[in-house]
Amino acid sequence: MLLLHFLALFALPLCLAAVPKDAQSIQEELVKLARANNGVIKLDDRTYDMLTSPKRTWSAAVQLTALDPRRRCAPCKDFDPSFKEVGRAWSGVAAEQRDSHFFATLDFDHAMTVFQKLGIQSAPIVHVYPAADGPRKPANGRTAPSTYDFSFGFEAGPLAEQLSHHTPVPIPYKAPFNWSRWGGIAASGVILIAALRFVGPILQWKWTWALGTVLTSLVMTSGYMFTRIRGAPWTGGNGQWIAPGYQNQFGQETQVVAMIYGLLASAFLMLTVVTPYTSSPSRQKAQVYLWSIVIFIMYSVLLSLFRVKNKGYPFKLLL
Amino acid sequence: MTATTAYQVPANLSPTTVANTSSLLRIVALALISGAAIASRLFAVINFESIIHEFDPWFNYRATKVLASEGFYAFWNWFDPTAWYPLGRVVGGTIYPGLMATSGVIYSALRAVHLPVDIRNICVLLAPGFSALTAWATYMFTKEMKDESAGLLAAAFIGIVPGYISRSVAGSYDNEAIAIFLLMFTFFAWIKAMKTGSAFFGTIAALFYFYMVAAWGGYAFITNMIPLHALALILMGRYSSRLYVGYSSWYAVGTLASMQVPFVGFQPVRTSEHMAALGVFGLLQIIAFAELVRSHVSSKQFQTLLFASVIGLGLLGTAAIVGLTYKGWIAPWTGRFYSLWDTGYAKKYIPIIASVSEHQPTAWPSFFMDLQFLIFLFPAGVILCFKQLRDEHVFVIIYAIVASYFAGVMVRLMLTLTPVVCVTAAIAFSTLLDTYLNPEEPEAIDEAPKPEASTSAVAPDTSSAPTKKQKKAAPPPAGSTLAELVTKAPGTSKRKTGVFGLDTRLLVVANAIGMLVFFVWHCTWVTSNAYSSPSVVLASSNPDGSQHIIDDFREAYYWLRQNTAEDAVVMSWWDYGYQIAGMADRPTLVDNNTWNNTHIATVGKAMSSSEEVAYPILRKHDVDYVLVIFGGLIGYSGDDINKFLWMVRIAQGVWPDEIQEPNYFTRTGEYRVDDQAPQTMKDSLMYKMSYYRFAELFGGNQPTDRVRGQQVPKTGPTLDYLDEAFTSENWIVRIYQVKKEDPLGRDLKTANAFEQGKKRKRTKPSPRRKAIA
Amino acid sequence: MLGFWRSSYSLFLLISLVPYVSAGHSFENTAIVRTVELGGSVVHVTTTYAVKALEDDSKIYTIALGEREHDSTSWLVAKIKGESTPLSVEERESNGNGPQLYDIKLPSPLMSGRTTNIVVETAQTHVTYPYPEEASQKDGQSLKYEADLLVLSPYDTAVQRTKIRSPFPQIHSYTEPEVEYTQDAPVTKSGATLTYGPYKNVPGSANARFAAEKQQRIAVHFSYDQPVLEITKLERAAEVSHWGANLNIQDNIHLRNAGPRLKGHFSRLEQQSQAFFQKPAPHMLPGLTLLLPAGIHDVYFYDIVGNVSTSKLRTAPSVPKGSQSNQFSVLELKPRYPLMGGWNYSFTLGWDSPLADSAGWDRERGKWVVGVPIMTTIPGTVVNEEELKIILPEGATNIEFFEPFPAIETELSTHITYLDTTGRPTLTFSYKNLTDKHSGIIYVAYNVPFSAHLKKPIAVATALMGLFVLAFVWKRVDTRIQKQK
Repeated sequence: MLLLHFLALFALPLCLAAVPKDAQSIQEELVKLARANNGVIKLDDRTYDMLTSPKRTWSAAVQLTALDPRRRCAPCKDFDPSFKEVGRAWSGVAAEQRDSHFFATLDFDHAMTVFQKLGIQSAPIVHVYPAADGPRKPANGRTAPSTYDFSFGFEAGPLAEQLSHHTPVPIPYKAPFNWSRWGGIAASGVILIAALRFVGPILQWKWTWALGTVLTSLVMTSGYMFTRIRGAPWTGGNGQWIAPGYQNQFGQETQVVAMIYGLLASAFLMLTVVTPYTSSPSRQKAQVYLWSIVIFIMYSVLLSLFRVKNKGYPFKLLL
Repeated sequence: MTATTAYQVPANLSPTTVANTSSLLRIVALALISGAAIASRLFAVINFESIIHEFDPWFNYRATKVLASEGFYAFWNWFDPTAWYPLGRVVGGTIYPGLMATSGVIYSALRAVHLPVDIRNICVLLAPGFSALTAWATYMFTKEMKDESAGLLAAAFIGIVPGYISRSVAGSYDNEAIAIFLLMFTFFAWIKAMKTGSAFFGTIAALFYFYMVAAWGGYAFITNMIPLHALALILMGRYSSRLYVGYSSWYAVGTLASMQVPFVGFQPVRTSEHMAALGVFGLLQIIAFAELVRSHVSSKQFQTLLFASVIGLGLLGTAAIVGLTYKGWIAPWTGRFYSLWDTGYAKKYIPIIASVSEHQPTAWPSFFMDLQFLIFLFPAGVILCFKQLRDEHVFVIIYAIVASYFAGVMVRLMLTLTPVVCVTAAIAFSTLLDTYLNPEEPEAIDEAPKPEASTSAVAPDTSSAPTKKQKKAAPPPAGSTLAELVTKAPGTSKRKTGVFGLDTRLLVVANAIGMLVFFVWHCTWVTSNAYSSPSVVLASSNPDGSQHIIDDFREAYYWLRQNTAEDAVVMSWWDYGYQIAGMADRPTLVDNNTWNNTHIATVGKAMSSSEEVAYPILRKHDVDYVLVIFGGLIGYSGDDINKFLWMVRIAQGVWPDEIQEPNYFTRTGEYRVDDQAPQTMKDSLMYKMSYYRFAELFGGNQPTDRVRGQQVPKTGPTLDYLDEAFTSENWIVRIYQVKKEDPLGRDLKTANAFEQGKKRKRTKPSPRRKAIA
Repeated sequence: MLGFWRSSYSLFLLISLVPYVSAGHSFENTAIVRTVELGGSVVHVTTTYAVKALEDDSKIYTIALGEREHDSTSWLVAKIKGESTPLSVEERESNGNGPQLYDIKLPSPLMSGRTTNIVVETAQTHVTYPYPEEASQKDGQSLKYEADLLVLSPYDTAVQRTKIRSPFPQIHSYTEPEVEYTQDAPVTKSGATLTYGPYKNVPGSANARFAAEKQQRIAVHFSYDQPVLEITKLERAAEVSHWGANLNIQDNIHLRNAGPRLKGHFSRLEQQSQAFFQKPAPHMLPGLTLLLPAGIHDVYFYDIVGNVSTSKLRTAPSVPKGSQSNQFSVLELKPRYPLMGGWNYSFTLGWDSPLADSAGWDRERGKWVVGVPIMTTIPGTVVNEEELKIILPEGATNIEFFEPFPAIETELSTHITYLDTTGRPTLTFSYKNLTDKHSGIIYVAYNVPFSAHLKKPIAVATALMGLFVLAFVWKRVDTRIQKQK
């Protein structure tokens, strides 16, 4: 026991030689902080300076964000969980690697000065500070922080993947197994099989399929995939629901356009399929006129809508 | 003979006369449609000239010239050392030769009959010519679906619909130009084979499938559509020996043939794109066998056993395929295909694909622009297909769903949607016309008299001719379709259906004709305005309204061709690779066939990093000239500064710690080129080359970039490692020469500074000397 | 056989003339005045010999050109002063070294003591070269001209002088030779004109010894403010069509700016500001103005990468044949890019013109005669090589041609183009170093039998007929193996 103390005593000067005392102590403090808040340090002005001290032998990934509801930073809230996830995943690795890279969150309301110093207006931002000293100092000697590129998205997966470039060992992040989804799928499958005897006739009835087909094609041809891939909003701000520009559209347009298409199509079908079967001339005549007018009006509505999207389109019918 | 008819029709016509007249009219109509299809694609030639458009066509054109001049075998194993310098490119093995082969054949055929047509003109006019064939193929296809009148309508639609014209105007010499014809004809042959169960048509389908494989990467669409159709039929319990014969003959011959194309090789048995076809083929064999046994064996249990075993075998087969895929014997979906399903995939993992504008999703206006009123006739047509659900209609329905999804995901796949839209719309429209042109009133009992088919002849102007012709060509078969209609009436009452009165008819028909005419206007307008400019030549208009041609690209390319060394290597962003190879005839680092991501990333890095960093890269690839496109002076928005971020992104993909996209944005995350532009941006080679001496052009006034609408710094960037070699008239193309290392071994920056100092002293007297002169 | 005869004859001629050459007794030159009009790639030299006969009826006057001069001379014509009919000039077989001699046959033999003035005009090509060889976009352009000091002649010369005129006032420098034939200044400069001489009593100098010992080179360095152009290769194809009553002429021109090479790099900024201040660099070629024949239509101007949209044409109506009004259609064409020193630009220029303007039916010969201009002259531009193809209508027979001056070589071949069956007879002429003096017309006479005219329609008709027959057979013949009932 005593011996051990002595050893420690002897070891001490060596440590001193290895790393300047302050750095070491800072690191230990940081490790503590990190452990306290499962893997992600909550920074303020002081700890920020500690973390990013020019003598740091460690690297760090700092999330600059504004989580306070008053700041109304929706993306911050979206992003924060995945950052926490990755942080937690990192806290799982072996101590010596773990303590040479830190995850930290710097909230605007706790460290305005830092934000001002960095001159940052937008959040969230992830800065990755490479080690500025010691063995892990990057070969090219670049110690300035690099910024995580959000074009990879807010999800934890890509974040971990990208940050792994800067950590001593890859971040052992695994996407949590989505029980509910798979469970749901399995359940629905079971239910389907069970109910096959009852829904069978419906599935075999061709008009079910017809409906499905037509709806699909209507939705697709009115730009649903665009809104999905581009994540276009349902409507624009200030209540406008037509996106300006030819190569752009809002979610609501999809619906409206699909409806117009559907109406026109059904009007045609009416004229073609239903009307000839009406036995009384007068009613038939009424129908023909009605549907013809519907077609004409809806068509001109569609055109006017298109003229809004594509200025310089020369043709119009009614409006 | 007291049929109550809405309008008088001569009843005393012999059936033969009617038949002949209608067939004659049909031929005339088809001829006029072809004429219209070709004519409406010539805007580009008339407004500009007979020139190859865009980017990829320039490569096809170049390859075709090689084929025409050096013969097929030379072309077949043509190694192009000037592309992808220094790697080079094995062209023969990395292209779909169908297009070049086609025009090569046409070329030599014309030569043979002493018509020495310039190969360029053949290439330029190939697409319009084939569009006429497409119209014909669509006619045949739709005829199988409904009847001749629908066929003619469909032909007319596809002939002038912008969705197809956009890829087949004169000069857009690309694979799609011939592919759509092949697509439609293969489908027609398949339907024919499937209906008649003739191995002959199966083989025809196979042969055209082979042609398609040789012509366009989109052949995978056929490879999956036909099996899908077959599978659907089987699931609907519509298996028949006809289906078996048709499919087997198509698959066997088609697959073997397709494997002859070197670029395809063994993919048909090695990649997932082709597994569906293989699987369905196997399934069909099993079922056929089962049917055979069933027809011979009577025992009930045995049959059930057999049935079970069939299912089991089928499952086993699929399991085997899946297993092989996991084992890696069968390659999984390639990125391009995969990105159709997982729409986020491309942007993350293959930015090069994502960066192409025609791979963006489609917003609804483009749909309407390209298909106009067909787009809402399309669902109606699909419903009508469901109404009489014959085997071939199943095909159309599947096609409709799949194609509309694809078209939604990628703009360029609008092309595959267009034919089916035309077909279904034609079915809907001609059904309407049939109903309302049919003269007889419901109470009539006797068979339909043939309406006289040559009333209301109109002298048509070419573009609106087809549609009018439709109306006339529609009546002849009206009788037969009426008969169909009657028999198909679900209400099994004997009462004949129909339309009362003349006014209703007139109203609907007038409405219909109005729509058709409007459609013609629309198509003409769209074609002439949107789809007929050969992005090589830009057109602006003078103050007096006359057309002013901006020809900077060719100016610069031709300068390169005439005044630089034969083997001078030109570096540019990959978009311009093919054009440089085609027009300037100089080696390029990267081009539009983006097969080597790293190489492209290298160029991206050179462009986006500072001179000092870029110079070694340039020297290593012995680049002599660097070419950039700069629209800032006249506001040409498609320039390199606007594409710059993609270069950065692609470079970042390979050198994440040297190039970082955020460094090219301002603190506030804006993309600026003015004083606020971040230093990384200002130092980047691209920025420097674009704005070099740009400010001086404004003689002290505040220089403005007309594209970005921003005010660039008064003191422009300086270049130490590059020299301005040429700048085109409107500054769109700027070419820089890479300096050789300094002979005295100084680094070029200091050498330059020294030069500057000396020059300033030396240039003093020069004005005096001029004064004497 | 004929070749042999020729050579033997000339051999005889040489022998017979040797005494004259060596002694040169038949004439003496009372005065020789040589005037050199400096230019870009073409330099015009006019030499006037005042001759006095020393013997009765001496009719062959011999002139001499130094070797270099002879090599660079592409055109030579001799006249009696004040008359327009050129005298026949016979080039002597030269023995390689020493001056080249030409025999000029005088119109009428001279009695001894009588005098006459012979004017010899020559055009020299590639005798000037840019000096300094490189010039930046700002600099001016200067050329250097080199020539022999003395005019050679087999006869004794009383007095001779050489005038060198520069088109632009500034002459930077010139050689001041040491000459034994004069006491006062060997050269005087007044304005833009240099005068070498007068040099008195120069003995018969047309021999290698004199050239080696007495002859000297002089050089003039002058500034020249127009681009120096040369056409490295010109391919002209003229296609005669009786069906279209059309003569199509197409030029394939490889243009080169032979001025000083562009030093450093081309800066569009410079060029645009120069254009703005109306002070374009003298060695930059912004565009060309060509005089094309009157009455032409469908002019096209393109290069390998397609149509060049920067050209303007003002056509003149076609003039009635025989009338001497020289009207032209003026074509202002701009290359795709301004042509700096040492830059190339190759392009194709073509047009159609009514056949009646340049062809006609020659009664007494009973033939068609078509006239084709050898080239479109660009003033002060030399054509290094030309290949002229004249494509006659299909089936043209007994062809003969008349050329203003002999071509280097001529050949007759056949050329097959649109819907030809047997192909068209084609005459090909090749030339070297053509100057604006060479703008002559080649006349080709030929017969076209009526049957030849019918060839095309018959061929096309048969082809179509064949198609129809095929279609007919295809429709009617039943190829099915088993008839279905």
